[in-house]
Amino acid sequence: MNPDVGAAWRAGYKGQGVTITIVDDFSSTSKFSGNFGIGTQTQRHGEWTREEASMVAPLATIRSKDFSTSSSVALSPGLNVLNLSYGMYTNAGYSPSQIGWSAEEASIISYATKGTAVVSKAAGNDAVAVGGVTSGQQDYLDLALVGKASAIFVGALNSNGTTSNKASMAWYSNIAGSNQAVQSHFLVVGVTGDKTGLYGTSFAAPIVAGYAAIVGSKFTRATPTQITNQLLNTARTDTLANYSASVYGKGEASLSRALAPLSIK
Amino acid sequence: MRGKFGNRASLCATALLPWALLGAPPAVAQEWATSLIDIHQGSPLSDKARGLGDGGYELQTGSRISFNQWYQTNWVDMHVDLMTQITQDTGILWGFGTGEQGEKYRIEPSLKLGFLTQLHPSANSILSLSFTTTFGGKLTEKPCQADYGDLGTYSVNCRLAASEMAPEETLKYLVNAKPESQHLWLNYRVTF
Repeated sequence: MNPDVGAAWRAGYKGQGVTITIVDDFSSTSKFSGNFGIGTQTQRHGEWTREEASMVAPLATIRSKDFSTSSSVALSPGLNVLNLSYGMYTNAGYSPSQIGWSAEEASIISYATKGTAVVSKAAGNDAVAVGGVTSGQQDYLDLALVGKASAIFVGALNSNGTTSNKASMAWYSNIAGSNQAVQSHFLVVGVTGDKTGLYGTSFAAPIVAGYAAIVGSKFTRATPTQITNQLLNTARTDTLANYSASVYGKGEASLSRALAPLSIK
Repeated sequence: MRGKFGNRASLCATALLPWALLGAPPAVAQEWATSLIDIHQGSPLSDKARGLGDGGYELQTGSRISFNQWYQTNWVDMHVDLMTQITQDTGILWGFGTGEQGEKYRIEPSLKLGFLTQLHPSANSILSLSFTTTFGGKLTEKPCQADYGDLGTYSVNCRLAASEMAPEETLKYLVNAKPESQHLWLNYRVTF
């Protein structure tokens, strides 16, 4: 690497000026153990996803929003990224408009619709298409975010893909499915549970949230929708085994390509 | 040939000094005889420019950009050093550098001026002093135009266009380097 690149990194360009809000569990008594490479820890779900996002984008401002409060999610000045490593399940058969959303989810859906925040949503761990029925239930938060300008569904790969060692979908991960509105807003990233002890698309979404923060810290005038599209349009398909849009959507998120120029002269 | 004699200009000048000033008869000195004392290609800045060509990155499409294409040159900065003898014990050092350029950098031509003088503390010793100063010869790196698609087109540091740094911030890391501008040399020689 060129020494000047290292100098730039040391100068600190890893998500500054961007706020990632983790909407998750920060208050329950449910805790579990894992290891992000800094020793085994036992903490709540939200504490894990928050830690992961902060490791990807260490200079981003990380805010915690306990989802049990159900109050509206506030935005901060500058670019906002929301991480949703949870779903809202109820019996199948309704349309999202029939759901009586709390102020919390209503605000999130509004932000994704208007493109005022990048919304990184864990695709789900039921090994079905996004919004699909499992045990008679559906994730209506998934369904409500389909077709929204700045929403990204994030599925989990069993490893980080390379062209010589292609990755496959994790056995549990929801896939994009046949809906093109989902496919065009669906990314996948490696969730290396074999190393961390943490499995699930809950740990895929914070990676994309962190990527969005880093891209946003580089392109400070870009809108959340532009950041979303940049991540979607630069995803790789050549690192995935038997790539299909109905499984992997747009492909494996690539931070390096999202940061790179299309052309230079 | 590049670099073969690099960084030896001062040594050559000093080594030649006793010959140049002692060996020439006074009549010749009065005619301001000029001697070629060094010629070489390459310089620390030339090496620095070449070093900028190390590395590369992938564009959004996956095609690879190598920095080398921007920092190669068909002509490497050539330096010619001369000495014009004014008296038996003094001379003017002068010379020039041609400069060089690649697609994304330029080393401007340079002019070197200075003097040599010597004393004889004893019959078998020489104390010599030389001083040179260089004008010009600055290395300047040029920016690129990077197209980030929907995110816009920016003037950037070519080497940092794919980094996490904001495009406009990368311009702060463009190389602007001056050559070693002044050189003072003191030499005392005793012959046994």
